[in-house]
Amino acid sequence: MTLLRLAWRNVWRQRRRTLLLSLVVVYVTVAVLFMLGFLDGYGESLVESYAAYVEAPVVVAPRAFFEDPDLENGFKSPFQVDHPKVLAQSPRLSLPALLRSPYRSLGGTLLGVDPEGERALSRVPAKVVEGRWLSDPGEMVLGQRLAERLDVRVGERLLVETGKGALGLTVVGLVRSGVSNVDFYGAYAHLSDARALSGIWATHLALKVPKGQEERVARDLNGRLPPGLEARGVWDLMGPIRADYEANRLFFFPLLGLFLLLAALAVVSTAYVSVRERLREFAVAEALGLTPRRLAGQVALEAAFASGLGFLLGLLLGYALLWYTSTHDVFGPLMRLSVELLPEAGLAEHLYTALRPGYALFAFLVVLFSALLALLFPGRLLLRMEASRYLKEA
Amino acid sequence: MKKGLWFLFLLALALAQSPLEKLKAALDRLRGPAHEGVYLLRVERPGLEKVYRLKVYTDVERAHFRVLEPKGEAGLAYLSLGQDLYLYDPRLGRTLRLPPSARGERFLGSDLTYQDLMGRDLERLFEVSEAEGTLVLTPRPGAPTPYGKVEVYLKEGFLERVLYFDQRGQAVRELLLKGYQALSGGVLPREMELKDLLRPGYRTLVQILEVRAGPVPERCFTPLYLERGC
Repeated sequence: MTLLRLAWRNVWRQRRRTLLLSLVVVYVTVAVLFMLGFLDGYGESLVESYAAYVEAPVVVAPRAFFEDPDLENGFKSPFQVDHPKVLAQSPRLSLPALLRSPYRSLGGTLLGVDPEGERALSRVPAKVVEGRWLSDPGEMVLGQRLAERLDVRVGERLLVETGKGALGLTVVGLVRSGVSNVDFYGAYAHLSDARALSGIWATHLALKVPKGQEERVARDLNGRLPPGLEARGVWDLMGPIRADYEANRLFFFPLLGLFLLLAALAVVSTAYVSVRERLREFAVAEALGLTPRRLAGQVALEAAFASGLGFLLGLLLGYALLWYTSTHDVFGPLMRLSVELLPEAGLAEHLYTALRPGYALFAFLVVLFSALLALLFPGRLLLRMEASRYLKEA
Repeated sequence: MKKGLWFLFLLALALAQSPLEKLKAALDRLRGPAHEGVYLLRVERPGLEKVYRLKVYTDVERAHFRVLEPKGEAGLAYLSLGQDLYLYDPRLGRTLRLPPSARGERFLGSDLTYQDLMGRDLERLFEVSEAEGTLVLTPRPGAPTPYGKVEVYLKEGFLERVLYFDQRGQAVRELLLKGYQALSGGVLPREMELKDLLRPGYRTLVQILEVRAGPVPERCFTPLYLERGC
């Protein structure tokens, strides 16, 4: 207890030094919290986009279709799953198609959907900004940006050609979802039209399951499905953007570790200078009965206090920043630019940071590192100190 | 006298063609008889022009096109057999079967599509009516065409001008046919011009340089002979 009080007093003897040390830790704590919140927010935004707009929480398809998404590998006959966690299910037929207006032709993927089934499964039907969602065969709904590129308007006919045939479908609605894949490439038609153009029942079955249970339900289904069929959770349906996200995580963690280490080194180097300046004082303390080990412990405590103060202030500022960015669309302009640059990535136009208490534990490592390093370096200096020499000098 | 008038009236009725029949007859004349020939294809773009010489074999239903010039693209060959379309690319050394959607694609990067060269979409996809001597074609319900209306201008039963409109009533493409020449077994336009009305300076001209009417060897219409030539 005496040691604690002594360390605490010493921290405040050099207020300017303590303040500078704390600022380094504040900066690192805020940076760590923000980077973790941003990364998790980005991941959550991707999962949300793919689960609710681009794909589905869980998809069941013949294994061959996942390996080679050719129509020949789709479902030839109707299929349904029976699982207590499945809230809704609807067949979809995804087929490569050429979309042709009088002005332009664009290749893309036509998604044949059951209009009512899709309402229960996806948020796309609710995002129609002009016209209406599909109701009958002969109709189609387009992403707003795709419609702009084709220069086609609601009420006009669009020529849809596939390897097996062609149909003239009337555009009845335009969708603006804020998810790049949907707005730039979304082309939705009635399932019966897609079947007429492909000759198969569906390419996959989309399932809605409670949020956060996608991977578990997919694993569970894989134990029950007939041979040759496979269930995949949204995380496995994300394609190349998942690799990008995982690469970012892999890159972020060593970077955060380096941040923490540098902050701890800054604390320790200052503590080292402080110890060197106070060697005579420590010699007197040793002469009064304080063992070198306890002196080293005192120095470690001083480092921990200084960084702890910064940590607390950093937590306050960091979480305030995370709260603000998790409730306000601060990154909207940045995300909209990313969406324009990478329309095929499935990015959302909005990104809100995540806010989790666990980030504080990661940031606390800086305090821990500082104390440990203070034991290692300035502490060792004290352990090797010849007290008699400094007392003589006094 | 009365009987004579009735006879003339019934004869006129029997001889009168419906708009669809007129269109069919004009399309028959457009493709000419079976023939082989050399066509010149001139693709014009603002500040750019590309000229192809093509060897063509056709029996009206089927067609075989071979690029003779420019040298860089010589040997490229296309075979149209109804809905099936084949392409031989000498750089790949392979014959590829193209999907039906390719029939609406631009032929050799020009403004022409395979449909313009060989197809009969006008009679297949559109309802035909006649207004002031012009055939007015409107898409059948659900017809796979992006156009809202097509106007076909005939002169003495020959197709002279085809005007394609978008669904907003704006003319977007114009096909002009000139210089019909009589060949044994039919007629064939000597020149075909296609203008993109939305992009000034985008124009494609087809001129028939040499033509010999008569039966074309059957082998010309087999994919195997795309590579060898026929």
